[in-house]
Amino acid sequence: MDATESAAVLARARQGDSEAFRALVERHSRSVFRLAFRMTGNEQDAEDVVQESFLRAYKQLGRFESRANFGTWLYRIVSNCSVDLMRAKQARHDQTRAESLDEAIELPANDLPTPERLAQSAEIQRRVQGALEALSPLERAAFTLRHYEGRSIDEISRTLGLGTSAAKHSVFRAVKKLRAALAPLRSQES
Amino acid sequence: MKHYSEDELTLYYYGEGRHRANIERHLDECAACAACYREIAGTLAMIATPDVPERGDQYGLEVWQRIRHRLPEQEPGFGWFGRFAGFDRFTGFNRFVGFAAAAAVLMLAAFIAGRTSRDAAAPTAVGGAPTAAAADRDNAAARQRILLTSVADHLDRSERVLTDIMNAPDSGDISSAQGWADDLLSTSRLYRQDAIEAGEQSVATVLDDLERSLIEIVHSPSRISAADLEQIRRRIDAAALLFKVRVMSDELRNRETHPGTAGPRAPIQKTS
Repeated sequence: MDATESAAVLARARQGDSEAFRALVERHSRSVFRLAFRMTGNEQDAEDVVQESFLRAYKQLGRFESRANFGTWLYRIVSNCSVDLMRAKQARHDQTRAESLDEAIELPANDLPTPERLAQSAEIQRRVQGALEALSPLERAAFTLRHYEGRSIDEISRTLGLGTSAAKHSVFRAVKKLRAALAPLRSQES
Repeated sequence: MKHYSEDELTLYYYGEGRHRANIERHLDECAACAACYREIAGTLAMIATPDVPERGDQYGLEVWQRIRHRLPEQEPGFGWFGRFAGFDRFTGFNRFVGFAAAAAVLMLAAFIAGRTSRDAAAPTAVGGAPTAAAADRDNAAARQRILLTSVADHLDRSERVLTDIMNAPDSGDISSAQGWADDLLSTSRLYRQDAIEAGEQSVATVLDDLERSLIEIVHSPSRISAADLEQIRRRIDAAALLFKVRVMSDELRNRETHPGTAGPRAPIQKTS
């Protein structure tokens, strides 16, 4: 789909043409899923985010500035849908999750993995996953955008609708928590 | 010597922040800041980009299938014409519900209007029989046309739900098809009653068959097993329901455009 064709499809979708919107869904679904998965760390949640993002995008298409980039606009919607989903999940499972994370992160020293096991990336990833889940939804989203997606602080602030300072501090808080959670692994490595 | 904070070193790690050259020089000279930076960089390096599960070329189409019946009303933001142009497509779930409700209300109003005008015309029939009879015929014809149009639209929507079920993955979430089926079910009952009253027995029979399948779809678990789904499909096949629905819809459309070409007739027989 070239630029002219994309613009025409987008214009039709903005007028309520569902077939045109279908073309946009087919074109962007895989990249939307990729971001949603990185944001949520969970396949089922990512699928939910994909669907919710496209439904929101369709609803809000009238607000989309035709001069802007649809991919960037959609990226913003996906990021915010992910934050919303993580917040909703957090509210539902706050207590249970907190308990399991305490378990995952604050293991007693004698339960720490041996250097041999540390070499196994699966174990490291399990710990990392636990640490990521301990972040607040906003911290996780900001960290994902910075760390995995390579977005600048300015881009993160625009994507999540935050001030630059708030975006920066979300990343800082995330990094501090991750360092604390992963410190046992670091000390075993060194 | 000015030391750098953890936050500044974090930004430095990510290639952001001001005074990058100064920080670089400082890290060469200051053991404490260099150790802190190594710790930050070492931790962040452990957090590798996760492997994202693969999604095939058809994934976009799958997503579309899942959301297409749930498209919401678009928020205002473009002109009146754009909204109006979108209005007649009726592909969104809300639009469908709105249309079904409007059609049902319209049909009911037409029936009531028809009956009222027939009752009102009766006393004058002695003096003006030809006019009253003609008006009666017009009313009946108008009611018939509305019924044909509404039922044909209803059958088209039902066909889409049945097709979705026939083409759904072997197990998984059928909740969007169930939502549709649930709404169609209540309208279907109304249309069946109307069809019986109008002497449209073949229409009523198809609607009756349709209702059975819709009930089965609605009452199945949303996360349906392959076996349950197969059972629903087998019953749809056994009743030749998709075939009947298509044929009846075509026939009603034909009668809409060519009134008087065919009237009420016997139920469609199962051919296989």
